[in-house]
Amino acid sequence: MPVFGNPLGLLALLGIPVVLAIHFLQRKAKELPVSTLFLLERTRREAAGGRNFERLLPSIPLWMQLLGILLLAWLLAEPRYEKPASVQRVALVMDSSASMSVFDETMRERLGSILPKLQGHASALEIVALDAVPDQPRIYTGTSTDELLEAFREWRPRGGPVDPSTSLRLARSLVSGEGTVLYVTDTPDLAAPPFDALRLAVGTPVENVGFTGVSFTREEGALIWRALVRNHGETAASRTWSIVTDRGRSEPRPLELAAGSLVTVQAAFPADAEHVRIVLSTDKFPWDDVLPLVAPAPKPLNFFAGTSPRFESLAAKLAASFDAAEETADAASADVFVSSYNPLDPVLPEGSALVFVEDETRTGAWLKGGIVAESHPLMSGLNWQSLLARETIQLERMENDQVLLWQDQRPLILLRENSGARQLLFNFDPTLSNIDKQPAFVVLVHRFVEGIREAKIAPVVENLETGQAIRLRSAPGSELVFQATDPAGKSISWTDPRRAPDQPCFLEIKQVDTTLLRAAAHFGDPREADLTDCGDENPELGGSRAALERQTKPDPLWRVWILLLLLSLLIAWKYSAPRQPTIEPAA
Amino acid sequence: MMDSAALQKAHGSALAAAGRLRLPLRSRSWKGQAGEFAGSGTGSSLDFQDHRSYMPGDDPRHINWQAYARTGSYTMKLFREEVRPVVDLVADVSESMFFEPSKAARTAELFYFICESCAAAGATVAITLVRGEAALPLDPSLVGSHLWWEQVRKLSPADAAAPPDLAKVPLRANAIRVFLSDLLFEADPEPMLRHLTQRHGDVVILSPWLIAEADPDWDGNYDFLDPERGLREAHRIEPATLRRYREAYQNHFALWKTAARRHHAAFARIPCADDLATVLFREAVPARALETIT
Repeated sequence: MPVFGNPLGLLALLGIPVVLAIHFLQRKAKELPVSTLFLLERTRREAAGGRNFERLLPSIPLWMQLLGILLLAWLLAEPRYEKPASVQRVALVMDSSASMSVFDETMRERLGSILPKLQGHASALEIVALDAVPDQPRIYTGTSTDELLEAFREWRPRGGPVDPSTSLRLARSLVSGEGTVLYVTDTPDLAAPPFDALRLAVGTPVENVGFTGVSFTREEGALIWRALVRNHGETAASRTWSIVTDRGRSEPRPLELAAGSLVTVQAAFPADAEHVRIVLSTDKFPWDDVLPLVAPAPKPLNFFAGTSPRFESLAAKLAASFDAAEETADAASADVFVSSYNPLDPVLPEGSALVFVEDETRTGAWLKGGIVAESHPLMSGLNWQSLLARETIQLERMENDQVLLWQDQRPLILLRENSGARQLLFNFDPTLSNIDKQPAFVVLVHRFVEGIREAKIAPVVENLETGQAIRLRSAPGSELVFQATDPAGKSISWTDPRRAPDQPCFLEIKQVDTTLLRAAAHFGDPREADLTDCGDENPELGGSRAALERQTKPDPLWRVWILLLLLSLLIAWKYSAPRQPTIEPAA
Repeated sequence: MMDSAALQKAHGSALAAAGRLRLPLRSRSWKGQAGEFAGSGTGSSLDFQDHRSYMPGDDPRHINWQAYARTGSYTMKLFREEVRPVVDLVADVSESMFFEPSKAARTAELFYFICESCAAAGATVAITLVRGEAALPLDPSLVGSHLWWEQVRKLSPADAAAPPDLAKVPLRANAIRVFLSDLLFEADPEPMLRHLTQRHGDVVILSPWLIAEADPDWDGNYDFLDPERGLREAHRIEPATLRRYREAYQNHFALWKTAARRHHAAFARIPCADDLATVLFREAVPARALETIT
């Protein structure tokens, strides 16, 4: 069967009704009385059909014109024939965001129907399926559509929104410019995907209600969890929620949510429970319908205040603001020192510390000049422009000290790192400045202290989001043992302890006998939970001209058709041209 | 249809032509009433014909006395008889003879010409108008007053396109039968001519024709109107169709010509263009359908 390189050329067939219309319109034009009708009837041939067809039969120009139109349509449509052993390469880039899991079945059906079309006129199809996340393994490589669809049964889209550009570039390089790159997602977009890719959107708008986050507070000694439930849909929704522990399940409680609304549900964390699940009545997107929880317990931080009396108040404020921080009287076991620097007693702590200069003279002038923060993670985004400080004595500056904040040529804050210890040095007397009014100061100190807490090797209990990076400090030399169970307690596959599993679960990381991390991971990406923008989009499978020419060969008889076309036009012209009478009447 | 002015004009043209041409009355011998043309029998004319022996009952006035004086036997002197020719005019007055003005005028001219020619030669004319299967004898006295046209209009055959039914036409013996018709009907000429030549009749066929009939310039689609049946027929005329039509036209008249030759009938096709006398001299005289008056 031929394929047409330019199907629009078949529009030339519209010339057939036009020619027929002209033919019949001409028929109606002339009315003539004649006395020799019986002679005329002798000239008529046997009619093959109806009256109109009978009149068409003897019209040579008409038949030639119709033949010419057919030939012209054939030539304009550029008929081509399949070339043996031609291959069409197709690269699929799969949107691995969690919302795709809702349309898993639809996606397989749509791909099953669209892949034969992508094959075009090639005799074979080579398929490679990639995850939109570039570092993920290939989903499938082969030539069988059925095997591809089977491979998708094992593929689990659980991620967040992802930019497919990198994978699309890789896919384009795999199939070269002649192949087809198809981005399979659930959300249509007006903008065309890059790298000359096509987009297949398999989604439909879905109403979804789910947990979007959780927070914990302590009230009257009890640990209270507060979970946000959001109705992502455009209509009001009714749900029930209940608490599930190892001991049982609470009575479901109704929950009414207006369109787009957020509702907070809260309760005390069961004191004797290790794992708790907050469960919503299910809908089409199940990942945010369960909220696994553990009672959070950050790493404890020992805090030692070794300051002069002038700084006791500041040290107390700081100690109170740190989470899970305990003030200790044993300097050896302290994780963080708070120390003041007096030039009369210029001894600084050796471990991690916050050091403030103490100037008892209180006579220095206000420092002048521009305040400039160095580029450093501790200083990122902090505004120090309203800081007012007086000239005081200064710390002795070490060679490897890193200045974090300058005023003109004078260093105000320094970071000293020495054999695993970090010290944040305030090179002015804070009590002679307005630094205690500076939000930047609080943030800086908290960043510094949390950095110390993070570096500490100690057990921690956390509530994570699925796929969240886990920053875990472990002792060198011993292997980590990690495992995860789904909310129901069934073990799930978890291969990378640096990142939480991509589905709601409870997890645990141990080193030797120490449980370094016990955590619950819940789905917390409201962008993926909002399925109202999902929709359907079909790619335009016109097929490139280059692919068509590569897979097919042109009609070898095209020159013959052109000659026939010219011949038909000449014959039509010859029989249509007006003639002079040449026959003498019989005498 | 023709009005009186057209009839008078045609009559004038016919009279002019009749002064120079007439039917071939002299080319045959006649029997019948005394007249101006030599009969086939002996008569009392001045034209000597033959001698024969006297037989009882012969008119003694025609005994050749000089021969009797020389031979002693009665010898009769025979003279050619002079008779009046007899002409039967069969005029086809179907619609096709009049549907186009020039052809109607030529038809009327020929009709008048034959009548006036006969009148000038002293021939007795019997006129019969035919149209389809209908036939109507016409009083020759109505010709000069143009009232014959009223008779034409009274003819109403059941099938106007049918060939003339000559069986209804009274034909006299030894007459010249003039058939005035365009012959545009579907019929075998053989039986018609056989009928016209019966009883020692001499047949002259005068057939007016139009160039538009013989060689039309049709091209394309037409709704043809049949003036005789009043029918409308649609035809697509291609060059090939036109060529076949011309061949059919030529074959039709070739058939008539062949049949006429077989029956010793004079067959002249008279075109509707040009002056009547001119075309009669050009077409009818060579075909011996007419003769000049000397």
